[in-house]
Formats: sequence, structure tokens, C-alpha cells
Amino acid sequence: MLTGVKSLNRRNFLVTAAAAGTAACTGRPETPWRTLTADEATTLEAWCECLIPEDSDPGAKRAGVVRYIDIQLTRKFKRHRKAYSQAINALDKLAYAQNRGPFAALSFDERSLLLASFEKSENSKAFNMVLDHTLQGYFGSPRHGGNKDYASWRMLGVPPIPVRGRLQYSLLDPESNGGIS
Amino acid sequence: MKIAVILGLILFAAFLMVPAASFVYESGAPGACARCHEMAVPVDQWAGSAHRGVTCAKCHGDALTTDAQFHMTNARRVVEHNFGQVAERAQLRPGDVFAILQRCQNCHPQEYASWAAGPHSVKYEPLFLDKKHNSERHLMDDCLRCHGMHYAGGIRDLVTPLNNQGPWSFRDASMADKPAIPCLTCHAIHAHGNPLKGHVRKAGISRKEDVMTPSLAFWDRRARESVSVALLPLPAVHEGERPVKMSPDQRQALCYQCHAPLGNTQVRSGDDRTPVGVHEGLSCFACHDKHKQSTRASCANCHPKMSNCERDVETMDTTFFNKNSGHNVHFVKCADCHPKGIPAKKAKLERARQ
Amino acid sequence: MPLPMVDAVVIGAGAGGPIVAHELVRAGWRVVLLERGKWNTPWDCLKDDLRNQRNPNLGNPFGPEDEGNPRVIVGMDGKVSVVAPYEGGYNNNAACVGGGTLSYGAMAWRFQPTDFRMASKYGVPEGSTLADWPISYDDLEPYYEKAEWELGVSGDVSNDPFKGPRKKALPMPPVSPQGREFEILDKAARKLGLHPFHIPMLRNSVPYNGRPACMRCRWCVGFACEVDAKNGTQNTVLPVALKTGLLELRTECMTREIMVDEHGRASGVRYFDREGHTWEQPARVVIVSGGAIESARLLLNSATKTFPNGLGNRYDWVGRNLQGHTYTGAWGLFDEIVYDDIGPGATVAISDFNHGNPGMRGGGALCNEFIRLPYQFVGARPPEVPRWGQAYKDWVRQAYRRTISVMGPTQEMPVFDSRIQLDPQVRDKYGIPVARISGPKHPHTLEISNLQAKHAEDWLKAAGATKTWLKLSGQGTSGGQHQAGTCRMGNDAQTSVVDANCRVHDLENVYVVDASVNVTNGGFNPVLTIMANAYRVGEKIAQAHARARG
Repeated sequence: MLTGVKSLNRRNFLVTAAAAGTAACTGRPETPWRTLTADEATTLEAWCECLIPEDSDPGAKRAGVVRYIDIQLTRKFKRHRKAYSQAINALDKLAYAQNRGPFAALSFDERSLLLASFEKSENSKAFNMVLDHTLQGYFGSPRHGGNKDYASWRMLGVPPIPVRGRLQYSLLDPESNGGIS
Repeated sequence: MKIAVILGLILFAAFLMVPAASFVYESGAPGACARCHEMAVPVDQWAGSAHRGVTCAKCHGDALTTDAQFHMTNARRVVEHNFGQVAERAQLRPGDVFAILQRCQNCHPQEYASWAAGPHSVKYEPLFLDKKHNSERHLMDDCLRCHGMHYAGGIRDLVTPLNNQGPWSFRDASMADKPAIPCLTCHAIHAHGNPLKGHVRKAGISRKEDVMTPSLAFWDRRARESVSVALLPLPAVHEGERPVKMSPDQRQALCYQCHAPLGNTQVRSGDDRTPVGVHEGLSCFACHDKHKQSTRASCANCHPKMSNCERDVETMDTTFFNKNSGHNVHFVKCADCHPKGIPAKKAKLERARQ
Repeated sequence: MPLPMVDAVVIGAGAGGPIVAHELVRAGWRVVLLERGKWNTPWDCLKDDLRNQRNPNLGNPFGPEDEGNPRVIVGMDGKVSVVAPYEGGYNNNAACVGGGTLSYGAMAWRFQPTDFRMASKYGVPEGSTLADWPISYDDLEPYYEKAEWELGVSGDVSNDPFKGPRKKALPMPPVSPQGREFEILDKAARKLGLHPFHIPMLRNSVPYNGRPACMRCRWCVGFACEVDAKNGTQNTVLPVALKTGLLELRTECMTREIMVDEHGRASGVRYFDREGHTWEQPARVVIVSGGAIESARLLLNSATKTFPNGLGNRYDWVGRNLQGHTYTGAWGLFDEIVYDDIGPGATVAISDFNHGNPGMRGGGALCNEFIRLPYQFVGARPPEVPRWGQAYKDWVRQAYRRTISVMGPTQEMPVFDSRIQLDPQVRDKYGIPVARISGPKHPHTLEISNLQAKHAEDWLKAAGATKTWLKLSGQGTSGGQHQAGTCRMGNDAQTSVVDANCRVHDLENVYVVDASVNVTNGGFNPVLTIMANAYRVGEKIAQAHARARG
């Protein structure tokens, strides 16, 4: 132990430690996503957008559904990471086989058709997983990364917070006291 | 001895590393702050906000600050980041909220002074350790919705004991003098919008006229979100069956988050002060100063000093003149003082004037 | 490590445990209450619509903790899977102080007299273990009343002609205003000749017991109440009992087993504290109230030489007859907007169909559903609307504020093979074998529940719904938050686990007080029955062991 401390090159130690400490923050991430690669995210966005398309109200893409999924893949959905990679891969493969291009490059109608067959294929479990997560990201609370600016709640006419006051009451009022003894 | 020195030096170096790392991190500011994933959202929002011209450090502090909490938080974030425990997004701690308050003052001294002189600058202590209140009322989490929305915990974490006997104290004594309704209650600094100065000039709006500043948003403690005033509802308030005529001033949606009627939407219920009677249809801001809440000299905005019945409106028997008056100025009606109807002579005069 | 002897140790601070503890403390006993979860507050969940006790997509705020507490589920296809508390099939209730009563919807039903004598009334269908309770409605009536008044129930059941006799009205009126769904459905039910009334709720409609009235927000069932207006055991009996100084509550303490001495008497319990240390708490009486799944698991995990199959399990009845409620009903789409944003939403009920359905053994109450958050609407879709795409989006946008849902808990026919066992392999973070859940619903249960859905649909049609569609149930294992039946109450030790006073047949000082003892589960939410029975048994225990206490 003693020799270990003595033999430590002080300068090297500091440099290494400083580097370790800052490494996490100094490298600019290559993708804005936490777990997805840029390609995966592109495919997934195109996928989710078919599930909830944009019209007069935001679709899945603009509502940040993929951001929701990406964030949760580092947390509760860690166990689904592999399934996502495989599902996205499988979908792209299918797109190449049928249309000779990546899924995201297809037209909206082509994508929807492809997804309809994907849904009924051996990939149905993966499809259902993405659909579940898309609905969560679209309709769930914005705090988790989806439903940007309450996009879906606005669409439904549900204000983010209701206006609600409380009855003012006094414990000293005998009417207020109940039966527990 | 020598070991102690070496260990001491190592510790010191490790100690210095935290601000050093912060410095490296900030060196490319503000874009550099977005290098960590959890910072991406707030930095993106800031870039589109009215405060885009104000650098991060102006509000959040920088590596040279002596605030230990600042460095502790940064160190904690790095550790968590390296262990893969990345937060869903970075959020201010209550301590940051209170620290930012002082920095708001640097650029907005006028607004700050108004707020500080008004009831919304109330501190935690008079709200939560009030003997009369606590012996008559039940302290609960919902109190924090309006009286301490930035406190990161439940009521049980804040006050002890939770009964009506007391004596009550804060679990963390430093909460006592913290402001319960700080700037960030009604303002989201990163909210989307144009810098106000340019915006006003471009739109050709007179400086005196009130504009809905882009930062207006209510901090909803349960959603952990600042909800833009544009998304907040203005309630449909009723007097009995009758829908009360409401001012369309959307800024009031902020007020209604706390000064709210009950679920039955009746005027005067809960903490509602929607004007009915002679003042029906007025916006909160027609009379109340937005930061100070005072109504001083506000009557003159609309009234001649003397009313139709030749009386000084400011000294009429309403709560404006005397807070113990039976006539709440929010709800006062002609009939309150003229139970038999408006005197005929004056009604005639009135008609003649028209 | 042994601790000082106490009069009683109660395992589980859910709906039943704190009430028994409260009754024993009232009799002057020294009691220790062990709870595996924490004393959670609303702060632990906030308004999180993806992480609450009803939608635990991102975790369970009120326990059990997501990691380290698995269960094993055997599917209808025989597929065995290990599930976490936030995953489907876990049949979670909650694990915290107050248990399910911290975050429940708080419907406070009395069972009807017939619910206690289902076998006599209807005869036993083939493949079911349907039986009468050893106690009657009249035995429970005074305790129902006690629960209603001590914890606080609002509502008005005076218009329900099918209810059992009651001496006292409910202590609080229904919430006011009732809301739009009430107005629509109340009128429609009357038109059909039915008998609508105000759902009894363990929720303050006016200030009661020093706590305020419900403020009608939308975050109710699945969430803890921010204004403390929802009455659970954690804000009623428990604080009262703790104040006496006779009750000690130990949270984050997981009971490993009930210890039994050489005379076949329970001597106390062995448990793990939050640091994982093992403690032995000696007690003269042991009361198990962990919920139907965990109580059965504990009895099975307490096997000794004298009781090699687990306590009370001489005849292999522990863990059997697992039941819950088969929830079915219907959705109705209306032309006008029916959503009024006023919680808790569920306001109107009928119990016209609890009994007397031709050819059916029972039925259940029907109520309008609790107020829904947008995410809770994603599954509400008639069969012809696709699950995704533009048509789906159009549907949700049009239907969200125009839809009413009427659902109800169908009373189930108990099945011997619907059961809790110990899994031979999987253990929890303490190393204790976990519950393995298996078995189907009885086919007759599904017949009844399908009929109930039709009744709901008729009601909605009468209310003016322009389109209706059914929500039916599958045959998978029942349980869920209304889990019951696994330690059946009965007079015959060969066909039940506990006697009429809820004492385990083989042991003179071990009791089970939760829905495990329910022979049948009524056509209603079971919590008030658990509470009433806990009051009753608490009194019996205090009487039976008064002398033994020395």
C-alpha cells in the first residue's frame, strides 16, 4: 500500500483524473439521441409518425414520441434495447426487400402499407411494443420527454391543469369533526 | 507524514477538479452546455426564448462561484452520468430557484422591488408555522401547490409535526426565510418567445400597454413543468346558474391557478374573486399591479373621482376603503347600497346625461 | 436477534392490518405492525400518468419496488414467465403503509346478504368451489357501520332497494355537483326502471375527521390524494393507534416466516429490516394481513416439521380459490360533450343486476368509470376502429370527451386450481421463494360477466349513446387489486384455512385478516368488507386472548 502511493506519478495521476472527470461532458455527442443511432432514430420516427400522423394536430414525430422512447431506453425500457435494434433492423430489411430503400425514404402510404404487413408478421410482438410506447409518449405526461407542450392534450381539449380551488374549513367547527375515537 | 501530505495533495487536487471540470464544460458556452444529453432540452428551449441573449452563467452561476451546492450538484451529475443514471432531464433544485431570484433582480430591479413589496413575496415561515392556521387547519401536500410550489418534497418533508397541536417547525430550518412564491412561479425563463424589447418595438405596441410577456407560465409542482399561460384554462365561473361575464385577458389564467373557484365553479367559492356586480368583466390586471398586487390609485383608471351619486369612489363603503367592510369590492353590486333600487332622481339624471 | 415480547404482531399495513392493530391497541395490547413498503405520500407519485398504481408503465410508485420482487405467472397456454411489479400479470395491489387504500378509487361497498350465501342460493356449478360464508351479512353489519363512520364514507344508498338492512345512514352526503355523467346516466336508468344511486366512497365530500373535502381533481384512482380527502387506513385508524404509544409501526420490514414452537403454537415472526438484517419478533398472537397473494405465500413459506406443507395447509387449501373480479362493461359514444373534467368521476351505480339474472349465479354492480386521463383512453376503441394511423387519431380526437364507460365487478365462481404456490426456483431479493400464480377463471364467471356487459350497453343506449361497444374479459387468472379467497374462511377444517373468526384452523394464535378469507368476493369492490371484517376479528382476538395476555 505504502509503495503503491509512493510510486504513483503525481502529475500523471492528476491528468488522468481530470480527464476522467471531464470526459463525460467534453465529447460532443454524435447524435442528439441517448441510445438510438441517428439511423435508428430516423427509421423509428418514420415508424411512429405512421402510427400517429401529423394533421391539424401534431403527429408522433412533432410530439417528441421518439425522444420519449430514447430517454426511457436508458431507464425503465433498458430491457427493450435489443428488441428495438432488432425491430428497426427488421423493418428496414423488409423495406429494402420490398421497395429497395430504407423505410424512412418511403412515402407515407408505402410506409403504412409496409407496417400493416409488419404488424401481422412474426414481428407482431415488436410492433405492439412500439405501438404501446408510442401511445405512452404521445398521450402521457410531458415530463418523460414526449407529448411536447401537451400536444395531445390540446388536441383533446383537456387543459394541462384544471382550475380548482378548495373549500376553506376550520377544525374548530364542530360540523367538521367526524366519528373516530 | 509524507503520506499525509501526498494524500492531502490528492484530495486537494480532486477537490479542485470539480470547478475545473465545470470550467472546461462551460468553456464553449452556451452550446457546450448541451453536450450532456440531459441538458439538451433546456438549452434548446433557452435558445428560442426571450432570454436567449442572457448567457447561462448569468442565471446559473459559473465555475468561479463559491456556492458549494453548485459544485456539489455538478459533481453529482458527472458521477451519475458516468454510471449511466442519466436523469430524464436536468431540473433546477429548490436552492437554484432561490438563487436565481437574486439574479433576476440584476436585470429587473423594478419588477423585483414591486414583488418584494407585495404579498407574493411572502416567506415560508409565516405560511407554514402559523399557530392559528395550523391548529385550525390540516396541513397537506396541496398547500404546496400555491404556497411553496418549488419545494422539492411533500408536506411531511417540510413541516413537523403534522398535527393540530404543534409546536411546528421546519425539518430544514433554512426554509423559514425562503420566498414561497418566487419569480419562477409565474415566469419560465426558457419559455419560447422573442426578446421583449425588440418585440415591443417591432409590433408597434406602446410601452405603456401591457403585453403578455412570453415568459408567463405557471410552475405546476405535480407535473414538474412550467405550463405556458397560453395553455392554462380560464374557468367558466357561474353565479348560481348564470354564467359570469369574464374578461378575456388570458394573463388571468395564472391568477386562477391559485385564486380558484371550487369544482362547482361558483363565484366567491374557494378562493375565487372573479368580479361580479359593478366590476363584472374586469380583468384582475385592471386593478391589481402584476408584481405588487396592490390596487393603489387603480380606481382612477376608469372612474372619475366622484361617482354618479357625487361620492368619492375610493372612500365608498367597500373593502377597497376598509378591509372589514361588508361589501367586497370584487362582488359589490348597486343593490348592496341601494336595496330599494337606484334612487329615482339620480336615475333620471342618468337618463338625461345619456 | 430476538426482540422484547409483544402481545401481537400484525403483518401488513394495508386495508385490514391497521384496523386490527387499532382494535387491539384500543383493548390495551402492545402491538407491532410490520410493513414491507414505505410510508409513501403524494410526493412519491405526483401527477404522473405513466407511473402510478393504475398505469405503472414506468414503475410502481407505491410498491413493491420494481426490482427484486418478482412473481411467476403461468399463462393459459402453460407458458411460465417471471414478471416485475410494473408488468402485466403481476396482479399487484400495493406495498406501502395504507396498502391499496392510499391510492385506490375508494368505493366503499357493503356486500349484499345473498353474497354471503351464494352456494345455498344458486347451487354449486361444476368445477367450482362455490360455498357459503360461515358468517352472515348480519354478523358484519355493525362492523360495516363502524368502518363507514370511523374512516368516513360519503354517498347515498337510500335509493338502492337491493342493499342489506342498515341501521345508520352514511356519515357524509355524496359529492356535489355530481357531474354530467351522473345526470345522463341517472335519468337513463330511471327510464329503464332501474334504481340508480350515489356510489358510497371512502372519500370526504365535506370536511370530516379533521381533513378537508375532495377538491374534484382528475388524479384520483392510482394516485395518493393531495388534499388527504381520500380515507385510507394510513390517515385514519393508523395515526390514532400510533398516538396511543402502544403500537409500533416498522416500515420496510419484510416478514420471512411465522415461527412455530414445539407445541404447534406461533411464537412470533422472523423478518428482514431495510438493511437486510434478520430479526425475531416474539408475539403472543400473529395476524397476517398481506393481501390474498402475499398472505398465502407467507403461510406456505412458514413450513416447519409440524406443518410440512405450510401453516394451515394440512388439506392443501392455502393459496387455492384465488379470485378477484371480472370487470366487464361497455363504452358509449355520445353526440354531445360529456366529459366535464370534474373528478373523481365515478358517481352513479345500480345494483339491479347483482342477483336475479335469469340462469346466472349472481352478477355485479355497474358504475360509471372514474375520470380518465388521456393516456387511459388509448384502449377505448370500438372493434372497427384500427389501432393506429389517421383513422385512430381521428377517433380519439372525436371520442375522448364524448364517451362514457360503464363497468362493473362480476362476482366470480371460485376455482380450486386458480391458486398461489411457491415457485420452486425464483426468489425475491431477500431469498424468499416467490408466489407462482396460475389457473383459469370459471366459464360461468365469463357467462355472467358477458351478460353484465350487455346490461351496461343497454344502459348507455338508453342514455342516448349513438354507438356502443363492449369490453369483455378473457379467461386468464383473476386476482388484481381485488385479490381474494386464498385462505378461505369456513367451519370445516378440511375445506377451509381459517375458522369463522379468521383463526388458522391448526394454530391457536395465528389469524388471517384480509380478503384472503373471503369465501366469495361479492359483486362489489371488497375493501369495506375487508375493513368491517378486520373490526370484527380485532374484537374477537381481543376477547379470545384477553387472559392469555397475562
